[in-house]
Amino acid sequence: MNQAQILPGNLDLLILKAVSLGPLHGYGVLLRIEQISNGALNIEQGALYPALYRLVRQGLLKANWGTSDNNRRAKFYELTAAGRKRLRQEETDWNRLVTAIGSALAARPEET
Amino acid sequence: MKLLAAIRNLFFALFRRAQSENEMREELLAHLKDRADDLVRSGLTRAAAERRARIEFGASEKFKEEIREATGANFFNTLLQDVRFGFRILRKSPGFTAVAILTLALGIGANTAIFSYVDAWLIKPLPYPQADRLMVFLTHDKQRGWTGNNISAADLQDFQKQNSAFDTTVGWWSTNFNLTSDGPPVLVEAGQVSWNFFDVLGVKPIHGRTFSADDDRSGAGHVVIISEGLWRDRFASDPGIINRSVRIDDELYTVIGVMPGTFQFTLMGIANMWTPLALTDQQLANRGTEWLSAFGRLKPGATQQQAGAEGATIFSRLEKEYPKTNTNLTLLFSSMTAEVGKNEGVPQVMICFWIVGLILLIACANVANLMMARATRRSREFVVRRTLGAGKGRLIRQLLAESLVLFFFGGIAGTLFGAWGMHWIQTSIPDKIRGYLVNFGEVKLDFVTLSFTLALTMGCAIIFGLAPALEGSRFDLSSTLKETSSQSTGSRGGGRLRRILVGAEIALAVIVLISTTLLVRSFILSVSSNAGFNSANLTIAQLDLPKTRYAHPADMRNFNDAVIARLRTLPQVVSVGAASGVPFGGYGQIVVIAAVGKPPQKSGEELGARMSSVSADYLATMQMQLLQGRAINSSDGPNAPPSVVISETLAKLFWANENPVGQKLQFGADKNIATVVGVVKDIKMYNLRSRPERQLYVPFSQFPTPTMGFVVRTQGKAPAIAAGVRDEIWSVDRDQPMSSVEQLDNLMAITDTGNRMLTKLMVFFGLLATFLGAIGIYGLISQMVSQRIHEIGIRVALGASPRQVMRMVLREGLKLALIGITLGVLLSLAVTRSLAFALYGVQPTDLVTFVGVPALFTMVAIAACYIPAQRAMRVDPMVALRYE
Repeated sequence: MNQAQILPGNLDLLILKAVSLGPLHGYGVLLRIEQISNGALNIEQGALYPALYRLVRQGLLKANWGTSDNNRRAKFYELTAAGRKRLRQEETDWNRLVTAIGSALAARPEET
Repeated sequence: MKLLAAIRNLFFALFRRAQSENEMREELLAHLKDRADDLVRSGLTRAAAERRARIEFGASEKFKEEIREATGANFFNTLLQDVRFGFRILRKSPGFTAVAILTLALGIGANTAIFSYVDAWLIKPLPYPQADRLMVFLTHDKQRGWTGNNISAADLQDFQKQNSAFDTTVGWWSTNFNLTSDGPPVLVEAGQVSWNFFDVLGVKPIHGRTFSADDDRSGAGHVVIISEGLWRDRFASDPGIINRSVRIDDELYTVIGVMPGTFQFTLMGIANMWTPLALTDQQLANRGTEWLSAFGRLKPGATQQQAGAEGATIFSRLEKEYPKTNTNLTLLFSSMTAEVGKNEGVPQVMICFWIVGLILLIACANVANLMMARATRRSREFVVRRTLGAGKGRLIRQLLAESLVLFFFGGIAGTLFGAWGMHWIQTSIPDKIRGYLVNFGEVKLDFVTLSFTLALTMGCAIIFGLAPALEGSRFDLSSTLKETSSQSTGSRGGGRLRRILVGAEIALAVIVLISTTLLVRSFILSVSSNAGFNSANLTIAQLDLPKTRYAHPADMRNFNDAVIARLRTLPQVVSVGAASGVPFGGYGQIVVIAAVGKPPQKSGEELGARMSSVSADYLATMQMQLLQGRAINSSDGPNAPPSVVISETLAKLFWANENPVGQKLQFGADKNIATVVGVVKDIKMYNLRSRPERQLYVPFSQFPTPTMGFVVRTQGKAPAIAAGVRDEIWSVDRDQPMSSVEQLDNLMAITDTGNRMLTKLMVFFGLLATFLGAIGIYGLISQMVSQRIHEIGIRVALGASPRQVMRMVLREGLKLALIGITLGVLLSLAVTRSLAFALYGVQPTDLVTFVGVPALFTMVAIAACYIPAQRAMRVDPMVALRYE
């Protein structure tokens, strides 16, 4: 399988994005990321949790205990207002970066 | 916000620790189950699915640690864990723990004890309200650069009237009173003071009142305030003491107050009675004699600078008005705290303070070194822990916690040792000099000292715990595990840091040892130096004859002759003499001298000399060495031509190239002229370290004085002699008290107390530094041998002889020791100069010390390396190579 490795900073962005679509428990976050990235990203599953705890501590996510689809007690994460704001900001930054790098890579020799 | 978060975290850590830990576990477990369920659905067996889920999840312990890290709630949690772990580790290696705690206890204890004196004498304010507003008056001779603490009554009065910085000023001087009522006559240390003395200081009596302005008028009724101690000892704490009459110097005084036992005015020394100065008009008009000491309390808002400016202005006015007495004279002010400090053993305390500071550094370097040695041994433990997911920061924190625990116990043991040291110093202070020490030389293990100790301990724990902590966390994961044995070679980087620590430690120990050796050598030289007389088996009785009963010279002569005759009859007495100034007692008086027939000195540049009126047998009784001519003897009667015996230094001053015997010397305010009949060696009058001074002796019969000291030389020790002398003097005059009856040896020892105590401490500190330095180098070399057992085994297997092995180890140790010693010697050359003021007979760069100490230390280093070297020598290659 041809998967791209994720940089630590980008994992936070992906988690925020995944959670923005509705409250999720940890495993759910993983599945959601796989789903929205069409399985193109490789996430070390355990690494998800330190990132989630960090985001909670930063006040970008909040966590509540609830019951999952298969009737297990699970911790659900959802975005806070600050988290939503951060996500918007990061999305803008990311898009700007991608555009910039994309146009840089698209440059042809004679144009320089 | 941060504080709130911290409090929340603390709460979290203490009460919800277990809960959060469980929740985290549950969450991760739920993830694994969910994943396994999905995998089962995709066709795997349950067991395979669970296994697969765990593999996909990754190193769960590492992530848990990261989560704990991320939540921050971890801090207190891990701190507690670390401290507990620290305890366990320390318990597991009792030898290491004992050495480390003992080392720290000695270092911290010495600092605690010395600091308690620094605090009491330099930091704590004097025990008066707003003591920083109290200013001592100093007169300053602008031309000669002399500063004295005495002022004439007239000058003080003028300053008081014209200045605006002080409401009132206080004059005082020390004296002694003969107390003859309510028991045998005693001489009581006393002060004559301005009426407002107690009020300006801000102290209150426990009974009665302080003086009023009316008490302080010449001709007012005699009143006296006594100390609580005198009230208790002499008057049996009589509740009716106020208004009682007591007989002082043959006059009746009314007791009006009792000062508490805690009251102390150290500038005056011990005082148990105070009377008003009650200056006469004649005294008030006298501008020539500077005899009063003075101080004042600054008005609210007034500053020391303002007082200084006024002093300069007023005294320049007086200078113009009274050129004869006041030329070049001006007035300066110094805070009372600073002036009291000068009287204490402050320089000695500061020397000790620096030395113990160095010793603490040595002790800490030692412990850091031991901890690093242990960290090296525990490298595998650290690597395993890191592999299991412990962060670098986590390891550093844990090692720091270990050192905190270690230093904490070191601090407790050090405080106990320090308290013992304080007790030892306190009990070593002779009672006679306590009166001059703040709080009578007593110190307490109080809040300030304890805070100092705590801060010092924790500061050192963090600074010196950091090196081993960094060292411990430094181990590289792969390389250490790959090195099947941690013994094959020492880790180079850590080894270097340890070498630097031990080298620095040795350098510091050498500085301490050189400094202490210089001070101890000074002491030995000073006590073994020739004082100019033989103090063995010599008893001195000092007294002052009251003017009321001994008004005429003939009265004094008769008393003197009668006492000498009585003392001769005592058993064991070999010889008896008397002098107005005896060494380490009366000191005599300083008179202006001039040689008759030589050009006179310019005004203002007169020469002084110490004069003593002596009885016929005094010089012989003291066993002073006669260099030329004869001593004062019985031919020098009251009517014989005046004669004088001079000291060597005085003889050289005037008659360096002539025979002094037969020359005429003029001396004193009365311009007496006497013929020089003999020359004696200089003697030391008040201090074993005093420089040679000009001295002269005149016959008591021709120049009688009311102050005198009787010297009695006995055959061997005579324990009963003091009582015998006292009884014989009372048999001549039963109302005559003695200020002291004491062996001259004791008087000399008391004078030298500061240096004696400093020397004892220095011997101890010197030994301590050497001991710690030796432990340091022993620890390092011993560790080196353990680490290189493998290598040594190979060397032996390849044919190295035990001798070669031993030489290799010794060389290693010696190389380091020599670098440290050289560094220490070079640094000592730079710092010992500041000790010069405390040295006697040795230069700060004394060759014997600067050669002897390094040589001694080299031998100590060799001895310290010898034990591990022996161990290396006995290495069995078979065992060493098989040993992992």
